[in-house]
Amino acid sequence: MSKSLVAASTRPIILSLLLKGENYGYGILQEVTELSGGEIDWSEALLYPVLHRMEKEGVIRSRWERSGEKRMRKYYGLTEEGRRELEEEKNGWLRLHGAFVRLWEMAERTEFVRPTES
Amino acid sequence: MFDLETAIRKWRRSFRGSEAFDEGSLEELEAHLRDKIECLTGLGRPVQEAFAEAVEKIGRRELLRDDFFQAAARRDSGRPPWAKTRFGSGLIPNYLLTAFRKIRRQKLFSFINVAGLAVGLACCAVIILYVANELSYDRFHPAAGRIYRIATRGANSVGEYAWATTPGPLGPVIQREYPQAETVARIIPPRENADNVLAVNGDKRFFEKRVWFADGEAFRVFRIAFLEGTAEKALSDPHTLVLTESTARKYFGAEPALGKSLRLEIDYDTGTTELEEYRVTGIVRNAPLNTHFKYDILLSLPTLLRHLPDYDTNAGDHHFNYTYVRLSASADASAFESLLQRKAAEDAQAVAQRLGRAPGRQEFFLQPLTSLHMKSRLQFEMDPPGNWTYIAIYSLVALLILLIGCLNFVNLSAALSATRTREVGLRKVIGARRGQLVRQFLGESFLVTFLAFGLSLILMAALLLPFNRMAGTALTLAGLIRPIVFFPLLLLLVCVAIGSGAYPAFLLTAFRPAAVLQGTLDPSARGAWVQKILVVGQFAISIFLVICSLTVFRQLDFMRGQSLGFAMEQKLVLPVKSNLSHLRRDYEAIKRDFLGYPGISAATVSSCVPGEISESGYYLTTREANFKGAPRLLVNATDPDFVSAYGLKVIAGRFFEKGNRGDINEAFVINRTGVKLLGLGTPENAVGKRYQTHYSRRWKTIIGVVEDFHYRGMRELVRPLLFDIEPSLMDTITLSVKPGDMNSTLKHVRTVWGAHFPGVPFESSFLDESFDRLYRYETQMGRLLALTTALGLMIACLGLFGLAYFVIHMRRKEIGIRRVLGASSTDVVLLLSRKFAGLVILSAVLGGPLAGWAMSRWLRDFAYRVELGGAVFAAAAAGALLLAMVTVGFQGWKAARENPAESIRNE
Repeated sequence: MSKSLVAASTRPIILSLLLKGENYGYGILQEVTELSGGEIDWSEALLYPVLHRMEKEGVIRSRWERSGEKRMRKYYGLTEEGRRELEEEKNGWLRLHGAFVRLWEMAERTEFVRPTES
Repeated sequence: MFDLETAIRKWRRSFRGSEAFDEGSLEELEAHLRDKIECLTGLGRPVQEAFAEAVEKIGRRELLRDDFFQAAARRDSGRPPWAKTRFGSGLIPNYLLTAFRKIRRQKLFSFINVAGLAVGLACCAVIILYVANELSYDRFHPAAGRIYRIATRGANSVGEYAWATTPGPLGPVIQREYPQAETVARIIPPRENADNVLAVNGDKRFFEKRVWFADGEAFRVFRIAFLEGTAEKALSDPHTLVLTESTARKYFGAEPALGKSLRLEIDYDTGTTELEEYRVTGIVRNAPLNTHFKYDILLSLPTLLRHLPDYDTNAGDHHFNYTYVRLSASADASAFESLLQRKAAEDAQAVAQRLGRAPGRQEFFLQPLTSLHMKSRLQFEMDPPGNWTYIAIYSLVALLILLIGCLNFVNLSAALSATRTREVGLRKVIGARRGQLVRQFLGESFLVTFLAFGLSLILMAALLLPFNRMAGTALTLAGLIRPIVFFPLLLLLVCVAIGSGAYPAFLLTAFRPAAVLQGTLDPSARGAWVQKILVVGQFAISIFLVICSLTVFRQLDFMRGQSLGFAMEQKLVLPVKSNLSHLRRDYEAIKRDFLGYPGISAATVSSCVPGEISESGYYLTTREANFKGAPRLLVNATDPDFVSAYGLKVIAGRFFEKGNRGDINEAFVINRTGVKLLGLGTPENAVGKRYQTHYSRRWKTIIGVVEDFHYRGMRELVRPLLFDIEPSLMDTITLSVKPGDMNSTLKHVRTVWGAHFPGVPFESSFLDESFDRLYRYETQMGRLLALTTALGLMIACLGLFGLAYFVIHMRRKEIGIRRVLGASSTDVVLLLSRKFAGLVILSAVLGGPLAGWAMSRWLRDFAYRVELGGAVFAAAAAGALLLAMVTVGFQGWKAARENPAESIRNE
C-alpha cells in the first residue's frame, strides 16, 4: 500500500475501530492487523503520536486504567466530534468508492480483453 | 543472566532523556512493549529474543522523537495522575502541606479547633497519668509479682473481723518452716503511740508519724535504696535506726547524720515512756509516693525485743505486725495459702488453750503486694486505699471535656464544608479519587490533633500543680514517657484524629460534584441536622456539669450551715502526744492553770473532739462477761466539763459532777441515739440502767442522756455515743477562747503548756477549721466540677461562636436584603438567635434530667442532704441560654449593622 494511502486512511481506520468501543494502542494495532489480514502494517510506535494528535484535536479522548498490578493503560474512545468526523470520512470514502466502482465498471466494459502474449 | 525487568527499565530510561517523551508516552510505550513481548513469548519465543524483537519493532528513540514531539500535548495534561506533583513531593506528603496551608488561611477556626481539642487532651492526659500512678503502686519492688502480705480474718467473741496484720511471731516461723518463702519481712508500728513519736535532736523537736520497726529482711523484700550505710548491717543492733534523707536533713541539717544519735520517745506499754538514744546507722532515699508502705524512720527490731523480750513467743495477744513474704519462683501461692490456713488454725487452738477460752475461727490469707493499694480495705491498713470511684469520676470528667472539644472540631469542619465543596467538586471532576480526598481531610484532622496535643502539653504543665494539690499526688510531665501512659495516649490521639476527621471527610466526598459546581446543591442543608445534634450535645454536657457543680456546692453549704448541736467557734484544740501519763493523772490541775487567764473561758479534756473520725467504742452487755452480739457505742472519754464547754444539752438525768467519786468509776452518759440502740425507749427511761463495758469489765450506770449532736459531720447520721470518765483514753485538751487579743492568749497557753509538757512541741488548731476537713472530698469534687464546667462551657461557647460566625456569614446576603426591606437590627438579631435558642433549650431538656439522676445518686450517700430543687435546673438552663445568646447575638448585631449594600453586592 502506498504511503499516502496509509497516511490518509489512518485516521478513519482508528475512528472506525473506536466506534466499536474503547481500546488501547496495542489493541488497536492488533485489530487493524487482523481486519486487514496483515495488509495494513503500521509502524508500531508511530501510532501513538497520531493518537495524541487526534486527542489534542478533540476527536478522541483518553483515560487511564489500572491493568494488573502496577501497569496503567491509556484507553481511547470517540468523542462527539470524533463521531461527526467519522461520519464525514465514511461518506467521503464511500462516495469515493462508489465513484471508483463506476469508473472501473466502465473501464471493464469499454476495454477489450487484451490478447495474451504469444 | 537476562532479567526482563531490568532490561525494560534500561530501555525506558533511554527514552527518558529526550524532552519529546513525557511520562504518559513512556508509559504507553512500555505497555506496548510488554504486550508485544507477551505475544511473542506466547508464540514460543524465548524471553530475551522476544524482548529484542519487540524493541526493534518499536524503533529507536531518534526515529520516534520528532513525531512524538510534534504530537505532544502540553506537559501538564499529559501527566498521568499518579505522577508526583512538583513541590516538595519527596519530603512532605502533599496532603499534609495542603492541610497546613488551609489552616493558615482560616486562622480563627483553626484556633478554635486546636484550643478546644488541646483543653480536652490536656485533661485526658492528666487523668491517664493519675490512673497510671494509682495502678502502679508498689510495682517497683524487685519481683513484686511474688510478694504478698499476710492478713488475718476470722471471728471472735465480738464478731467477724478482717485485719491487715498478723500475730508477731508468724514471720520468723514462716521463714523457718516453709521453704517456699524466700524471705519474710516484718514491719511493726510503735505500739501505743503509732501516730506520734517524739523525736529530738538538740533543739529540733518534732512529732513523727511514719515510724516503724523493721527487721533486716525488709531491705530484701522492699526496694529501699541506701545512700549511706549498708542494708545488711543497718538494723542488726538494738537502738539503731535508719533515716530517710529528708528526715536526716530535718534533724541534722547539712551535717552528715551517719553515726550520730537521735532521741526518740516510744511507748512500749511498759508503764513509763522516756526519750531514748538511737544511733543512725543508715540514710535511705525518701519513700516514693506510689507505695502503700511510707516511712521516715526505720527502727531496728532488736530494740523492740530488748524492751519486750517475750514479743516473739506470745502469739495470740497482739496482731500488730505487718508481715510480707516473697515466694520463690517455683512456689504455688494458693498451695502456700492452704498451708497457712492450717497454721492459723493450730495457732488459734494454742491461744485458746492458754487463755482458757473457746477458740475463735482464724484464717491467714495472702494479698498480692501490687493489689494492696487499690483493692485492700481491711482494718488497720497502713495507708488510705485508692478509690475506684474517684478514678471513675475523674476519667469520666476528662472524657466529657474531650468529647466537647471533638464535637467542636467535627461541627466546625462540617460547617466549613460549604465553602469547600467548590474545591472538592473541581477536584472530583479532574479525577481525584475518593480515597485521596478522604486522606486529605484525615491528614488535616491528624495535623490539628497533633498541634492540639503540643498545645496541651503546655496546658498540662499549668494544670498539674493544682491537680496534684487536690488529689494529693506528685505527677509530672516526665511521667508521660512511660509505656503504660504513652501508648494509651497515642491511641487516644489517633482515635480523636480519625473520629474528628472521618465525618467531614466522608460527608464531603459523597457530594455529586457537578451539581455542586453549578451551585444547585446546598451542602449545608444536608449536614445541618447533624450540626444541630452536635451543638445540642455540647450544651447538654455543659448544662449537666453546671447542675452538678451547683448541687455539690449547695450540699456543702447546707452541711456547713446546719446547726451541729454544739459550739464550734473559738475552740482551741491541743492534742497531747507525749507525757500522757501526766495529763491523765493531773488533768484537773492542768485545766486550772489554763483557766488562770481572762482570755480563756473554759477548758476540758477528752479522748476525741468533734471532727475527729474516731472509731473507738465500747461494747455494752447486761449479761456478765457475755459480749456476743452486744451493741457497740462510740466512746468519748471526757471530764465533767465537756458538756458545758461544748454547749451540749442534757435531756435526761445529769452529766458528770466534779468531785463526785461515784461518777468516775460507776457512771456513764449516752446520747439520744444511744438510747434507741439500747432499746430503752425514752431518755428518761434510760437513766438508771446498768451495763458492763468490755473495755474495763466494770459495771456502770447511766446517769444521764444528752441530745444528739453531729460530731462526725453532716454526712452521716448521728451514731450512738457514750461518755465515760476514763483517763486511760484521754489525750486532747480543748480551750474555749474569748475573742479579742489572740496573741496574748496564745502566749499564755504556750507558757502553761511549756510548764506542764516541757520539751513537747506545741501543736494547736481551731476546731472550726479542722472540722471543715471532714468535707475535704466533697470540696475537692466541687472544685473539680467547677473547673470542668468552666472549661466545658468555654469550649462549647467557642464552638458556638465559630458556628454562628459561619452561619451568619453565609446569610449575609439575606440579612442585607432584610435590612433594605426595613427590618431593624434588633429584628435581625432576634431572627438569627431564635434558631440557636431552640437548640440550647433542647440541650437543657436533655442534660437536666440526666444531671438530676446523677446528683440524686450522689446525694444518697449523705444522711442530711439538700433537695434537688427546680431552681437549680432553671438557673442552669437560663445561664446557658444567656451565654449562647450573647455569643450569637453579638455577631448577629455586627452583621446587622453592616451596610446592606455591601453584603448584597459581594455575593
